[in-house]
Amino acid sequence: MNWQPHPFAVLGLAMMSAPVIAHAKIYVSIEQVQNIFFPKQSLTKTPIVITEDLQEKMRVASSIRHPFQGNHIWKTTNGGWLIVDEVVGKHEMITYAVGIAPNGSILGIEILEYVESYGYEVAEAQWRAQFIGKSAKDPIKLNQDIQNIGGATLSCKHITDGVKRVSVLYDLALKEK
Amino acid sequence: MKLTIKRLIAFSFILATALHFSFAHAGEGVFGWIYTLDLQPKGKLEFEQRLQLNQQQASGTYEAWTARSELEYGLTNDLQIAGYINSYYTNANQNYTNPEACGDEPTCTGGYAVPSSHDPATPYRKSGIEGGSLEAIYRLTNPVTSPVGVGFYLEPTWGRNKDELEARLLLQSNFIDDRLILAGNVVVANERLKFIENGNVPESMLDFLVGASYRFAPKWSAGVEARFHNDYSELNLRNQVQRASFVGPNMHYAAKDWWVTGAWRYQLAGGNCMGGGEAECSDARVWDSHTVNEFIVKVGFPLN
Repeated sequence: MNWQPHPFAVLGLAMMSAPVIAHAKIYVSIEQVQNIFFPKQSLTKTPIVITEDLQEKMRVASSIRHPFQGNHIWKTTNGGWLIVDEVVGKHEMITYAVGIAPNGSILGIEILEYVESYGYEVAEAQWRAQFIGKSAKDPIKLNQDIQNIGGATLSCKHITDGVKRVSVLYDLALKEK
Repeated sequence: MKLTIKRLIAFSFILATALHFSFAHAGEGVFGWIYTLDLQPKGKLEFEQRLQLNQQQASGTYEAWTARSELEYGLTNDLQIAGYINSYYTNANQNYTNPEACGDEPTCTGGYAVPSSHDPATPYRKSGIEGGSLEAIYRLTNPVTSPVGVGFYLEPTWGRNKDELEARLLLQSNFIDDRLILAGNVVVANERLKFIENGNVPESMLDFLVGASYRFAPKWSAGVEARFHNDYSELNLRNQVQRASFVGPNMHYAAKDWWVTGAWRYQLAGGNCMGGGEAECSDARVWDSHTVNEFIVKVGFPLN
């Protein structure tokens, strides 16, 4: 075939392949999350080594394949925990934080960074409030004890599974520290 | 204004690039030809522009360009409707070699969109607005939350070259945090071809499309897709006349504000024609509307 690209086609392709600056919607900083969950308390960064066995147990409990990183964990003076994790979003990662009370129940979750165009409803307080008070012994499963948001299903599912694995992390590795 | 291939391409890309800088992103198609169950959320509108090139038959030149400009809208989170404007450009010249089509001549001009009345010794070039299509997709189960996502698709088309009613069964399963997508479509279509004989020639089609796409990096997916095609000379899948297989890669990029998918399908040798449709085959491949290579580029932009 005698292929002669049309100048408009070349221009169009060039323009389409040019990087588009996607402005990340950062909802909350880590410092803000610390103040929301643990006001007036000092936090100590407490990274832990995630063994293969622990990683596997968290995977089985949550079905999440994306590995958990153990270097964004803080402990409060009264025995609470702040854990920052990321899960797969539609196009990019979703970063979120979970606050855990000294008794192991979830104080709340916050969405730190969300850059998808749809599904941002997961950052709304009403949806996030469903996690408050839950612990590793609860299902923490979408369409069971966590309601879905239509049109944001993938984000709802992955964040819900993420919170589940964080609760399992607490139960297996943080509770006794 | 006469629609030429240059204008067709220019229109597609200018529209796409203009929208690229105008709007902010959406649900999208990671495959070139396979429909998935990634639908527009309720109340969301997306513009999509497709440009397909079917290229190369038995000999000479055969290029069939198809441009489709589409608006998709989520009526509910599980029901998406869409409308298309379709345009085409066909450039055929000595592209057939089958003696049943060419008689005593070694080559002749034929294939989809070339009228029966056209002198097969001469080139054929024509372009224009083909017509329009409507589309509805209903998602019965969502592959994000169910082991197998199931959906139904219906698309009536009214065109200068053919009218068509196409139905699909959409199947999809997701794995590895929804980064690996396995999808399949069962496609059934009834067609009435308008460019040959009396302008009302019935045909039907049964296709099986299967593919896999893996998001190997943030924003980037790549995979492979295949088409197993069957054509019939009457409506309702009676009297098979063609069988062909296609396979090829796809690549998808999605940013927050837009996405683009490119794919190529190659017709494998081993296709054949039967039941009175033998003139459409040679070299173990099926021609008619089919070619050795099929290329498609699709871009999408959410409008709200």
